[in-house]
Amino acid sequence: MMDFARVQKELQECSKDIEGSGIRVTPKTDATLARLVGTIPGPIGTPYEGGTFQIDINLPDGYPFEPPKMQFATKVWHPNISSQSGAICLDILKDQWSPALTLKTALLSVQALLSAPQPDDPQDAVVAQQYLKDYQTFVGTARYWTESFAKISSLGVEEKVQKLVEMGFPEALVRGTLESVGGDENLALEKLCSG
Amino acid sequence: MPKRVFCKFFAHGACLKGEHCEYSHDWKDPPNNICTFYQKGLCAYGSRCRYQHVKAERAQSSASSSSIISQQFVVSDSISLPHSSSTSSKGIAFIPGAVSELSALSRPFVLPKPPAWKQEYEQSDFLDGGDVGETSVTPADLPICSFAAAGDCPRGEKCPHVHGDLCPTCGKHCLHPFRPDEKEEHLRTCNKKHKHLEALKHSQEIECSVCLERVLLKPTAAERKFGLMSECDHPFCISCIRNWRSSSPTSGFDVNSALRACPICRKLSYFVVPSVVWYTSKEEKQEIVNSYMAKLKSIDCKHFDFGNGNCPFGTSCFYRHTVKPGSYVWKHHRPPPRRPTPRRSNVVEMDALLDMFEHLEGMECYSPEDLDSEDTNTWEMGLLFSLMGFDTSDSSSDEEFIF
Repeated sequence: MMDFARVQKELQECSKDIEGSGIRVTPKTDATLARLVGTIPGPIGTPYEGGTFQIDINLPDGYPFEPPKMQFATKVWHPNISSQSGAICLDILKDQWSPALTLKTALLSVQALLSAPQPDDPQDAVVAQQYLKDYQTFVGTARYWTESFAKISSLGVEEKVQKLVEMGFPEALVRGTLESVGGDENLALEKLCSG
Repeated sequence: MPKRVFCKFFAHGACLKGEHCEYSHDWKDPPNNICTFYQKGLCAYGSRCRYQHVKAERAQSSASSSSIISQQFVVSDSISLPHSSSTSSKGIAFIPGAVSELSALSRPFVLPKPPAWKQEYEQSDFLDGGDVGETSVTPADLPICSFAAAGDCPRGEKCPHVHGDLCPTCGKHCLHPFRPDEKEEHLRTCNKKHKHLEALKHSQEIECSVCLERVLLKPTAAERKFGLMSECDHPFCISCIRNWRSSSPTSGFDVNSALRACPICRKLSYFVVPSVVWYTSKEEKQEIVNSYMAKLKSIDCKHFDFGNGNCPFGTSCFYRHTVKPGSYVWKHHRPPPRRPTPRRSNVVEMDALLDMFEHLEGMECYSPEDLDSEDTNTWEMGLLFSLMGFDTSDSSSDEEFIF
């Protein structure tokens, strides 16, 4: 049985430090705390800078004694992240998990993985090959992917906000909701209407 | 005179004497609400007592004679407690007649009239009563004032009892000046209690890093315990750390490198000690661990089974290995062969061992469930059969047995 009290606490803890870490964790639906969405900013000084990456989090029943299942929802070009499925190759999400780790610390580790790729232990062989053999192309591709997939939500955000505000929702709420659904206007509208 | 005091049985609608009652059945009369136990200094209800706690000198006569408070400001130097020696000696002699009369009429018991203490009133204190007659009284035999021992004596200097010396730890006058053994004992226990309280206060703040809750604020008493790692000093609640350490090997974690390690610093700890308080120094930790070990050593090892079983921990087992006369070890001077464990192969024997270690750690839950009951049963059956002369390993003999 999952310890929801702990998850609840973690979410509170995380929302307190949103300014400092830039890491955000929100429940995917209101129905359960087992399915969450994490957002991490691309680390500065890497090809991922400026992007906002979404990670799907599934908490197993044994959490926190079993690691959370994390997967990139945003497409990323990285040797340790599958360019197809978004699967992450990170030891602390597997056999090196410890119950003292939290969703926030795990996401921080994922963020650290973005800035320090481990091509010797790849998840995506194609990306790893490119990283080792043609680093310049790798950086170019990674940056291009960041621009095209990790920034979509921020493109034209103002327009979407304006549109939703015109529908009669308060601006702060609109911004928050848009961010939580990853900038999808329709999803945001749905969420605003339902709650 | 008693007519003026309101009958308490009447107040409850239960006075059986009616017209003949010696107490007043007029609601306007004041009731006698004075606690006689308090006057003797012995009321067990303390502040929760429903009767008035009036000091003895003020309510001297009202306590038993039931006169009105305003009438009896009798000033007496020695504190006298009525009711005591008089009722216990003279009163009893007086009662038999009254009792027979009362039981016949099935009336509630009330003090006979005139009250017994008036017959022969002795100016002696209840507490001192036993000592009055004796001539050879050593100071060590005298009890110390219980009020002073509890913190504050209202009689102060005038108190006829010996006031104890001040205990520096609890700040009460509870050390008997003439009983050094008792004094030492009190100082020791008081110090220990004080330390424990301090530690407990300190422990309140400590959070478990797994459930992120304060360990001592958990809902059940069983959960309000720390799990002390043998090799590092990171705090967890006992249930969380045991949960983590007993995760099944199928979960993908390596037993030796991940599960036995501290979730925070990943240092391997071989055992976990439950404790209600958290420690502040190495010595305190050692003390907790030692007392836990001592406790385990006083419990007979289930695996060893008084010399009839094979304990996987051998001589390093935390539990007691008592060899009973007539047991296997007693006869053969070596442990019996390990019974086969069909569920586990040799490869995971180490895991099995550590699993059992974990079981041993769960000392409080050292119950019959610890042993796989099915296992035990078949093994015991085998033992029984072999004792009866049947060979259980031979299937043909089984058939013979059936037919």
